[in-house]
Amino acid sequence: MTGTTGSTGTAGTAGHRILLDGRSVLLSDRPLKSGGEAAVYTVVGDDGVVVKVYRDTPGPQQERRLERMLTMTPLGGRPTDRAQPSELAWPTAQARGADGGFLGYAMQRFGEPDHVRLVGLFTRAQRMRLFPGRVDWRFLLGVGWNLAFMTARMHHEGLVVGDFSSNNVVVDANGFVTFLDCDSIAFTDPATGEYFPCLMQTADYCAPERQKGGPATEAGDDFALAVLVYQLLSVGNHPFGGVPHDSDSQSTVKDNIAASCSYVVQPERVVVPRGVLDPGVLPPELLLLARAAFGPGVADPAARPSAEAWLRALDLERSRVRVCPARPHHTYGSHLQACPWCGRLERTGQDDFNAAPAAAPVAAAAPARAAVPAPAAAAARPHRLRTALLTLVGLVVLLVLLGQLLSHG
Amino acid sequence: MRDSTHPMTVRNDPRTATLPQQYADLEIENNAQRLPLVLCLDTSHSMLGGPIASLNEALSEWTRELHDDVSLSYSVEVAVLTFGDAGVSAWQGPNLLSPDTRVSPFVPAHRFEPPLLRAAGVTLMAEALELAMQIVAARKTELRQLGLQYYRPQICLVTDGLPTDRTGHPTEAWRRVVPVITAEQRDKRFRLYAIGVGGITDRGEEVLRAFAPAFNARLQGFPFRELLQMMSASANAEQKGAGDEVFEKIFSQFKTQRPAWES
Ligand SMILES: Nc1ncnc2c1ncn2[C@@H]1O[C@H](COP(=O)(O)OP(=O)(O)O)[C@@H](O)[C@H]1O
Ligand SMILES: [Zn+2]
Repeated sequence: MTGTTGSTGTAGTAGHRILLDGRSVLLSDRPLKSGGEAAVYTVVGDDGVVVKVYRDTPGPQQERRLERMLTMTPLGGRPTDRAQPSELAWPTAQARGADGGFLGYAMQRFGEPDHVRLVGLFTRAQRMRLFPGRVDWRFLLGVGWNLAFMTARMHHEGLVVGDFSSNNVVVDANGFVTFLDCDSIAFTDPATGEYFPCLMQTADYCAPERQKGGPATEAGDDFALAVLVYQLLSVGNHPFGGVPHDSDSQSTVKDNIAASCSYVVQPERVVVPRGVLDPGVLPPELLLLARAAFGPGVADPAARPSAEAWLRALDLERSRVRVCPARPHHTYGSHLQACPWCGRLERTGQDDFNAAPAAAPVAAAAPARAAVPAPAAAAARPHRLRTALLTLVGLVVLLVLLGQLLSHG
Repeated sequence: MRDSTHPMTVRNDPRTATLPQQYADLEIENNAQRLPLVLCLDTSHSMLGGPIASLNEALSEWTRELHDDVSLSYSVEVAVLTFGDAGVSAWQGPNLLSPDTRVSPFVPAHRFEPPLLRAAGVTLMAEALELAMQIVAARKTELRQLGLQYYRPQICLVTDGLPTDRTGHPTEAWRRVVPVITAEQRDKRFRLYAIGVGGITDRGEEVLRAFAPAFNARLQGFPFRELLQMMSASANAEQKGAGDEVFEKIFSQFKTQRPAWES
């Protein structure tokens, strides 16, 4: 809300002039986006940068946090491959007013249409509109892999995402992910030992211990990651969706999390909307992890699969994905005998991955190779663009670390 | 993929028959938690001319922004109620619903198109609020039956005048609604925003304060654009599960009509 001080609120004010690390720039007159705690503005004449301006004058703690963040280059800084966006929208400069007062920070812009919030993958119509011809189940699996990879490496570097949600992560046409809101990440400054907590959270991704006011932890991230991966693999269904049979009035995702009530684990407890996928669309290894996270893992943080565990299981499945011989953009787990998307199309009349209902299977089945989906190739192998070696090294390092942890623990 | 044999209870839409096909059927794939939002708008005679025109314009612009919002467009459901000309009217998107219909006025945000409003008649504010509470309660029941979850609904009352009766005379009848509204808000059934625009009087403001002790405002002119953006910002906060202090912050920012860096 830029709101002019005038009354009708039509003509906007001239953009505000601020200092980015001492350099004077002009902000757009209206914010690009306006959230609860801040508004995000573009910079006039520089499409690549946005500035986050806090609503309330930020305290010295936040100013100190930004100062320290600007000395760090997490996740090895920028990716070596130019086709791949950074995984973190890390602050690039301090934003100050003409009087020198701290206002916020600048970062690289990750805006639409190139970067879409993860939630855009969760409904069919938006997948069609925002990622035309790109998305199949293998693409979603690749996005999940990228999320797990990012989380695992952040944890390895002592960063806790804290406010992990489908609104704080954006995804591009190749399935690469970027975490926005980096100023809420919890970390201990390696140089000074100062601890900066995460003060933000999103109810639908918030583990019970955090709902109750506990601090952001890696286990909390693991919970949110499990929810996000599950949503991706089930084309958007939240594992804590549905209304419990015994519920009287209000019923929200948050309530179901607090009550440890997930249809993935205890389907008999809830009424789910029609159109919710059978959890069996997840391959067995992944379903096992989901059941651990949404069963015992809800109340017991130690019982949650780690980001590494997700990464390993997702990695295994990537090489096994099956391609439907009948319709384009239909790919699915190797554990299934028949294409689940064809099955769903027959039952509901809706094709989860094709805009118009694809030709009848009989007609399309003839030349099998013509039906092999061409798109989503890049995301089929996430980080293909980054050298395969780098990925391998990363994995080996993680696995070695994990091995050490296990043998010493 | 054994939907039929799986022990999950899968609900079909019991109201499919009463809902227009275009809204009921296309939502099969959307299981997102819903956020019902009611715009309860004064279209009485005093809004004639510039004010109603700027309201219509703001509604169109807001609709475009809503369609473009990946997160809100598939979660928010919009219902428009107006009080003016023909008493209280409910709209399903651009279409006026007949008073005796059982059709729900809520439209998923991504399909919402605003009605073209015109100003005339009296200010049945209390009746409009009663209808708002009624449609919110009915929608919650429907959603629950469908197995769909919902966030706390938002009702936004906008007026430039005083409540009147059907003959256009000021009335004290609105006082009967206050205890009900107070109780409902205490039970967190919805969040009510009551906003006075134009030349609303002290008496008018008193009414709004009684309806919405936390979220009432008396604004200069007709800043409908900012008002609707505030509703979107609140919807974002609701989706995030923000605490009351965040809603208050958003509202006070709107109320003072000042940009972020001047706060
Ligand atoms: N680097 C970026 N590029 C483009 N948009 C961004 C960027 N960072 C944040 N945003 C958008 O700006 C909005 C406001 O940010 P923020 O105040 O942090 O949101 P919230 O308080 O809801 O977490 C968010 O909705 C986010 O999508
Ligand atoms: Zn198929």
